[in-house]
Amino acid sequence: MKVYPDGTVALRGVDFHLRKGEIHGLLGENGAGKTTLMKILAGVLKPTRGVIEVNGRRVVFTSPSDALKLGIGMVAQYPALVPVFTASENIFLGLSRRMVSRERLVKLMNETGLKVELDAVAESLPMGVRQKIEVLKMLYRGVRVLILDEPTTNLTPVETEELFATLKKLRDQGVSIVFISHKLKEVLSITDRITVLRRGVVAGVVETSRTNPEELAKLMVGREVLFEIKKKPVKPGGEVLAVEDLWVRGDSGEWAVRGVSLAVRKGEIFGVAGVEGNGQKELVEAVTGLRRVEKGRVVFLGRDVTNRGPQELYKLGLSHIPEDRVAMGLIVNMSIIENAILGLHWSREFVNSFGVFKNKRIVEHALKLVKEYEIVAGNLNSPARSLSGGNQQRLVLARELSKNPSLIVAANPTRGLDVASTEYIRRKLVDLRDQGKAILLVSADLDEILELSDRIAVMYEGRFMGVLDSKEADVRLIGLMMGGYTLEQARGMRGVENA
Amino acid sequence: MNWSMIWQLFVQTLDASTPLLLAATGEIIGESAGIANIGLEGIMLISAFTAVYADSAFASPLLGVLAGLATGLLLGVVHGYISAYMKGNQIITGTGVNLFAAGFVAYSIIAFFHVAGYYTIDLSLTVPKIYGVSPIAISSLVIAVLAYYLLFKTQIGLAIRACGENPEAADSVGVRVELVQTLTSSIAGLLTGLAGAFLSIDWNASITKQMSAGRGFIALATVNFANWNPLLGIAGSFLFGFFWVLGEWIKSIGWLKQLIPVDLFNTIPYLATLVVVAGLIGRSRPPKYVGVPYKRE
Repeated sequence: MKVYPDGTVALRGVDFHLRKGEIHGLLGENGAGKTTLMKILAGVLKPTRGVIEVNGRRVVFTSPSDALKLGIGMVAQYPALVPVFTASENIFLGLSRRMVSRERLVKLMNETGLKVELDAVAESLPMGVRQKIEVLKMLYRGVRVLILDEPTTNLTPVETEELFATLKKLRDQGVSIVFISHKLKEVLSITDRITVLRRGVVAGVVETSRTNPEELAKLMVGREVLFEIKKKPVKPGGEVLAVEDLWVRGDSGEWAVRGVSLAVRKGEIFGVAGVEGNGQKELVEAVTGLRRVEKGRVVFLGRDVTNRGPQELYKLGLSHIPEDRVAMGLIVNMSIIENAILGLHWSREFVNSFGVFKNKRIVEHALKLVKEYEIVAGNLNSPARSLSGGNQQRLVLARELSKNPSLIVAANPTRGLDVASTEYIRRKLVDLRDQGKAILLVSADLDEILELSDRIAVMYEGRFMGVLDSKEADVRLIGLMMGGYTLEQARGMRGVENA
Repeated sequence: MNWSMIWQLFVQTLDASTPLLLAATGEIIGESAGIANIGLEGIMLISAFTAVYADSAFASPLLGVLAGLATGLLLGVVHGYISAYMKGNQIITGTGVNLFAAGFVAYSIIAFFHVAGYYTIDLSLTVPKIYGVSPIAISSLVIAVLAYYLLFKTQIGLAIRACGENPEAADSVGVRVELVQTLTSSIAGLLTGLAGAFLSIDWNASITKQMSAGRGFIALATVNFANWNPLLGIAGSFLFGFFWVLGEWIKSIGWLKQLIPVDLFNTIPYLATLVVVAGLIGRSRPPKYVGVPYKRE
């Protein structure tokens, strides 16, 4: 069991058994607790309660090097290499001089087929090679349990195939491998057994040879979806936002969005589902003017706004409820009043002709927002940091909506919020839709997407796997698409089952 | 210009570069592990004082040097401990030492030597020269070479640099990041303490309340110039040391002195430093995690 300092329970009562010489898949959505579980096994995190046994002996890890000594090594999603060191320097780091032997390393490379250029500087190497270095680093230290966290995220298909071949070879040499992933296809093709986590509990343990994508998707996503919010039937109007064949790069220059097209109409909520890190963030940033569009067009209210700055877009009537309210939505060290007019701070409503704030108007405005959106705040002059997460998000929402936008782009708007605030914000979004606003909702929370959206797109590796009407959407279909199957393939599988 | 003049110019430049090289070498080691110390100036000044004090109290240059070393070591340990274990802000600790030094030394000269601002020691109490060259100056070169070897040719150096480039990676393979950082910061303090002792009881045979005269900061510029490589640090401190000698030399030209106020010449080494460092912007690459306390997840 693991409870984070902020009270989030990441894992509750999880049992996990790894056998010698197997490849064990650990499958689950974002926030299911996969990485947390493995970080505990690798000594990076400490469990709040619970026991770890290695070869039948109880152990307590205080640091990753403790785990390493017992032969457990974890390769993080982004390899923890020293960027300016060469491959061999990275592998030998932290070893005593006696243990450094280039010959032994070369021998290891030949045995495992993991071949890298030892004198190349790590930062100049592609992700796939860096990962190999990390694996070599573990194996050189005699690791017998190798944990790989989403190892294929940054790999090209060819690199992925190579990795799989290596893993099978290692397994045959007796190494136990934990393969963390949310990609159904990969887990099915490489593992021997699969543990599925859902919201911090084990949803099931299955033999790979005796399962199918359907069952896994069901286990992964669950089916506890409740349609609590009553929506009026959709009455879509004219197109507000159109995105045509959009291509956007991610932070490290790779293609994060690969040719996405969508249209959001007045009075509808267009939902984008998908496991995080499949290009949703980049899509939102490109639409809101925060990230460069490499190819394709963004059309807002009939105007081509591709690569226009955010301020221009806001003036045209776009509001953005960003994914990270602390980093992007608010300036948490500034007061609630100041935050209430962020982005409107240039408007003549709040600034007189000498460029000085009209304090009275600003306070009135803030008070109005606080009242209207039921924000629980002590002193409006205290920093926004002092508000709870739910109230912070209400403040962001209040401010953004006070700009009277025609399009609202909301990214994970209820992440980390309590039930009351979540319901409040979801209801508000539906109200806005009923008032005829266009809403683009991007969320990794599948319940949220299903509850609110009129149309749903599922994003996977930068592409839409299909767009479907909310009436025909169900958890299993979307679960399969999130795992990398197209809408047609997913429908086909259901067909088989029904027949 | 004859050979003896060139030899003299060399010795003068070597003397002027020694405090820069010692402090810069220490700081390169410290920053390689992720600990920046902008308090070099203050450490140098306090050590210059304690060296003079011990030297005159015991009439022993050796004890003077040891006092300077001990002072620097102590301040380095404190800075390292606060930075590495207590995750303190390194700029604040460094600035604190600088401010403390300015007050402490000015006051102590009055309190212990009963003179204001300036105290001279007998030449017999200075560190004895070898063929007219200071042994500390020679050792500064040796230390720089050893530091290069340590950082770039040994497993220990690999661990040190990993702490400054990616402490998480270092931690994950069992390098004790906080310990390494505290030790390297101590080395930085130790060498800067030696620089202080060199200033007062070797090169100048005196202590003034502004003895360090910005050399601690020029040493920081040298670290940048050297791109965190002690061998290039030798070149950098010679360059900056040369500007120092140049400034002094121009000052001694009689007719020029009458034309232009002497204070203007005093700015030469500082202006030169500024120009050189400005030219380096964007070319040197500091360790990625320098100044950032390492906190385990």
